[in-house]
Amino acid sequence: MSRLFPLLCIALPLAAQSGDELFLQKIQPVLVRDCQGCHGPTQALSKLTVSSRNGLLQGGARGAAILPNQPDQSLLLQVLEGRNGLQMPPGGPKQKLPQETIAAFREWIAAGAVWPTRPAETKWSYKDEDLWALRPVRPFDPAKTIDAFLKTADPRADRRTLIRRATFDLTGLPPTPEEVNAFLADKSPQAWDKLIDRLLASPRYGERFGRHWLDVVRYADSSGYSNDFERPNAWRYRDYVIRSFNQDKPYDQFIREQIAGDELYPGNPEALIATGFLRSGPWEHTAMSVEAVTRQLFLDDVAHNTVSTFLGLTLGCAKCHDHKFDPIPTKDYYRVQAVFASTEFARPKLPFLPAENTADLPAGAAHIQALYDRTLASMKEFRRDHPASEEYEEFKLYRKHSQLYKESLNRFQPLAFTVSSGPLDGQTDGGPTLKYPPMAEYRPAPVHILPGGNIQSPAEAVTPGVLSALEKAGQYPAIEIPNTVAGRRSAFARWIANARNPLTARVMANRIWQTHFGEGIAGDPSNFGKMGKKPINSELLDWLAGALIQNGWRIKPIHRLILQSAAYQSTNFQPRRLEAEALRDSLLAVSGELNLEAGGPGVFPQINEDVARQPQHRMGSLAPAYAPSPLRRQRNRRTIYTFQQRSLPDPLVEVFNGPTLDLSCERREASTVPTQAFGLLNSQFTNDLALAMAARLEKEAPTLNARLRRAFELAFNRPAEPAELQAATRHFNRMLAFHKTNPPPSKAKPQPLVHKITSELTGETSEFVQAPDPAPYEPNLHPSDVGPATRALSDVTLMLLNANEFVYVY
Amino acid sequence: MSIKHSRRDLLFSAGMGLGTVALNALLAEQANAGPLTPKTPHHPAKAKHCIFLLMEGGPSHIDTFDPKPKLAQLHMTRFAKQQNKFEANMNTGERYYVKSPFKFRRAGKMGIEINSLLESFSEVVDDCCFYRGLKGDSVNHPTALYHLNTGNQFGGDPALGAWASYGLGTVNQNLPSFLVLPDVAYPQGGAANWSNGFLPAYYQGTPLRPEGAPILDMAPPPGMTKERQQANLGFWKELNQFHRARRPDHAELDARLESYELAFRMQAEMPGIVDLEKESPATLAMYGIGGPNKDADALGRRCLLARRLVEKGVRFVQVIAMGWDSHDYIDKAHGSRLRAIDKPISGLLKDLKRTGLLDDTLVVWAGEFGRSPDNGIRRGSQAWGRDHNANAMSMWLAGGGVKAGNIIGATDEVGGMAVENVHPLRDLHVTLLHLLGLDDSKLRYLHAGREKQLSQVGGQVIRELLA
Repeated sequence: MSRLFPLLCIALPLAAQSGDELFLQKIQPVLVRDCQGCHGPTQALSKLTVSSRNGLLQGGARGAAILPNQPDQSLLLQVLEGRNGLQMPPGGPKQKLPQETIAAFREWIAAGAVWPTRPAETKWSYKDEDLWALRPVRPFDPAKTIDAFLKTADPRADRRTLIRRATFDLTGLPPTPEEVNAFLADKSPQAWDKLIDRLLASPRYGERFGRHWLDVVRYADSSGYSNDFERPNAWRYRDYVIRSFNQDKPYDQFIREQIAGDELYPGNPEALIATGFLRSGPWEHTAMSVEAVTRQLFLDDVAHNTVSTFLGLTLGCAKCHDHKFDPIPTKDYYRVQAVFASTEFARPKLPFLPAENTADLPAGAAHIQALYDRTLASMKEFRRDHPASEEYEEFKLYRKHSQLYKESLNRFQPLAFTVSSGPLDGQTDGGPTLKYPPMAEYRPAPVHILPGGNIQSPAEAVTPGVLSALEKAGQYPAIEIPNTVAGRRSAFARWIANARNPLTARVMANRIWQTHFGEGIAGDPSNFGKMGKKPINSELLDWLAGALIQNGWRIKPIHRLILQSAAYQSTNFQPRRLEAEALRDSLLAVSGELNLEAGGPGVFPQINEDVARQPQHRMGSLAPAYAPSPLRRQRNRRTIYTFQQRSLPDPLVEVFNGPTLDLSCERREASTVPTQAFGLLNSQFTNDLALAMAARLEKEAPTLNARLRRAFELAFNRPAEPAELQAATRHFNRMLAFHKTNPPPSKAKPQPLVHKITSELTGETSEFVQAPDPAPYEPNLHPSDVGPATRALSDVTLMLLNANEFVYVY
Repeated sequence: MSIKHSRRDLLFSAGMGLGTVALNALLAEQANAGPLTPKTPHHPAKAKHCIFLLMEGGPSHIDTFDPKPKLAQLHMTRFAKQQNKFEANMNTGERYYVKSPFKFRRAGKMGIEINSLLESFSEVVDDCCFYRGLKGDSVNHPTALYHLNTGNQFGGDPALGAWASYGLGTVNQNLPSFLVLPDVAYPQGGAANWSNGFLPAYYQGTPLRPEGAPILDMAPPPGMTKERQQANLGFWKELNQFHRARRPDHAELDARLESYELAFRMQAEMPGIVDLEKESPATLAMYGIGGPNKDADALGRRCLLARRLVEKGVRFVQVIAMGWDSHDYIDKAHGSRLRAIDKPISGLLKDLKRTGLLDDTLVVWAGEFGRSPDNGIRRGSQAWGRDHNANAMSMWLAGGGVKAGNIIGATDEVGGMAVENVHPLRDLHVTLLHLLGLDDSKLRYLHAGREKQLSQVGGQVIRELLA
């Protein structure tokens, strides 16, 4: 027998295959790929269909195609082998399938031509201990504390370290020198508790914790792939997340709103925005995509991500075969998928809420409208009748720009990016509109088990359902999910957001823990299955999960419990490099440039200019060049409020291990690579901020000594040591001498932006000059705006912003 | 956390007692732990480096390396493709077979028929192994590109170059292991095409930009002279030493210092590497650099740079040439692409051969899919081109370990479908790793509780492509 490379998520040992596996791996792909085009459900030449076992048994015009256990008598094998003057696939001996494929057919027929109506029932390889996460959560003991589980003997860190640690943890920003001093001065025994309360009450908390959540759900303001169309109203979901955490919304409600807010809370606008969660993955449908495939990809995506987000289980493997490592049969996978079978895209009108930031909407809309109008005018200037002309290429480019701007205009409209059960409208992400029947005639497409994940050979139909393992292993009863248009998601959401569900609270408690210690109690926060890391202290995890439920699913009390523990306040704390957003926000904060305005449509920060000016491919043409927001206060918002374009991440965020916007990110990486040095040391952005910080210091402190001391307080949250102050003074003086003899560079004139377009019609290249943005640009402070002393001080500040102590939290 | 001496402490004290031998041993020991240190391959292999020439847009096999005379007979024969829910809209409805507008020439000892516009390339065909049996899964550009580059149609998984870097490390520690030479515009799907995915960031593809600074922010901003920057860095080192003394047990601090040092070595080395003026006029001409065809000049520069990078020990270089999506006017559109690639790609092969690098370099030429023998014909009878086709395509391999001078696999008589030696894309991935000395089933990374690999689900080596 030939070596086998099974079509499974994880390669199996090279042992004999069962008939089921042989079929799924060797037979079915060939039938689909090489036979079904002519002998399938859409076209049955010679009246033969090969898409089911029955089809082969019945055969076509020439009789039965297979006789189980009798390969030599089977017509199918005869034609594959080219015996008796019959040959398939057609076209002579050259078309013959590879010998090993034919051998596999022989083996398959000889073994009885097994055609699993459901995929292979395999022996699960998990042991009892692998099911820890499915077992009921241990009863909560209110008398215990975290330290009862961890028994930390380490001394408590000093107050400066603690306030820096806690402020970064809960707000993603450094404390100000004033906040540090106030904490040091507070001698009351409640000083630490008061600090925790202040931080948890800060609106910055929701921005910080919201970012963690957006990592998991893969939030972006665009849809990815070829056109990467804007999702103009996605920002309302981002702000919903931030608001929810700031309000300390019970987590069970947060779950219900995101999975089924439209059904469970009709008339509650927050809940309608929340359900945008279900559409957070990348998505595209074009003339080149197959509608059935596009829909299937959505169903796979939404089923997998809902389960991994809230239940910490990976479903992907169960798509093709019963899960090798976790007790998730394929049937369960498709039953969960059926929960979403009636979930359709929707973009209903939804007036802005008082809590939403609409301040910049009129100006923003006017800005895009001007660009749109200008584009439409340009479009008219070019001939569109001859597609192989250079003019047509320009016409196409303006047409593409106009499509993109038109979609962007919706950013300012009171619309919700969400879903509905059954059709509300057929709105998609900028692409072709999906066609739905009227609601009265709408029937959700039936969901079938797809052996091998192949949509062309559906097997057994399934009804919506939940994961059976939780009942089997966790004594958490399965529930019925109605097979109606509405109500599927509601039932599923209630089943997840339930104190008896063993996974829900554990998974969230673990995610919360990870935000404070860098690692979860269980090391793979989105995989609580066998292959995920086991919890290092499962009793503690259960206790925290119990505490979450006991506290009415509120998250802030859990932060409080963690921060009050000796474990958290210990000197032995794993140092952490700031995440990309915390780093950028800190750079803005200490330089005095951070605008703490909250909410509203994404803003466009200053990014590397080469990247900003680079042509961005959009299917068949180019997008308009990246344009940073014209006003400094807009550019300098917190990173969570920057526009998240899947195809154009801010390179500074990207290089500091920002999340891939297409994949759920359960934990940030913090690898150290040289391109980070370039970004922090050489980028115009950090150099501008260093200069802004120097100007700030001059404003806030009267003498060089005071300025340098304040610089250390701002950047490191501690006073400078005498030796450090000496070194800084020495460096300042040296650079002052340099700047006195070296004039600053002059301000660069804006360069016209020329993009080359290669016509996909003719392959000819033409040049296109991008007209400048009509909005007047408010520049940053420039070296030529200030004297040599400020420039010298900016050399000191730039190095403080690059220092190890600035980028690490202890 | 135990308090131990950091490498840097020892380095700083090296002059005071620690002998050179001990120091070297220490460095070697440290180096072994480094993520990019050269690693032993899974099995001996000729190819140590890879240059992947990615033809974005889907080059037509029918009009390049796999001529179909039958189409001349069928030209303009009309047929209807049934509406089928498993077909894309663009591929259904009224269709016409279309012939190739190009002439073909017989080339090399092997006698393969290739497009006559590939004049220089006809001189190197005997160094190539042409493969016609590959099948993809997607007819949509970004998903097909992700599939070809990362093994997964969804963006976000590690690219082939990242896996190769993870498996083999790299020879030159002053340069990234995986470099990408894109066109001015990025291909569809963007940087996810060279992502490190879930692998650590060391393995990420670093694009070398054809315009501006080759690596983002490698050059300091205006006004930051060398003198000023060095003075700044002196102060920076002081700051970090003060801090290091307070945090003796925080080893990552050293890694960060080293990353800055590496950045400066890169900053010093890169301008010399990207400066092509050091090459002889004959070499430049061989790549089409300085010639009248501007597209050939631009691609020639990237191909020559690829050779220089491989020479410097870079593990994996991906060169991207865009614009193959010829739905219409294939005569003009493919014509201009072929003229643009002819000298650059053949110059690269000749140059690698001349310098002896071809023996240990694997060269791959491929697009994300092939094109259809038929067309929906839009806009008049001279305007025809070809649509996407994942069922048939042409690619070639050259260099270390490749069965040069052969055609492997075949497509049907109109080029609609691969029919001989047919393999899915994952088998190509397994084969490319194999040629680099890596075993896909061993080259795994545990991510989110799952052992992941380039082929996703395992695959087999396409033995026929191997020497």
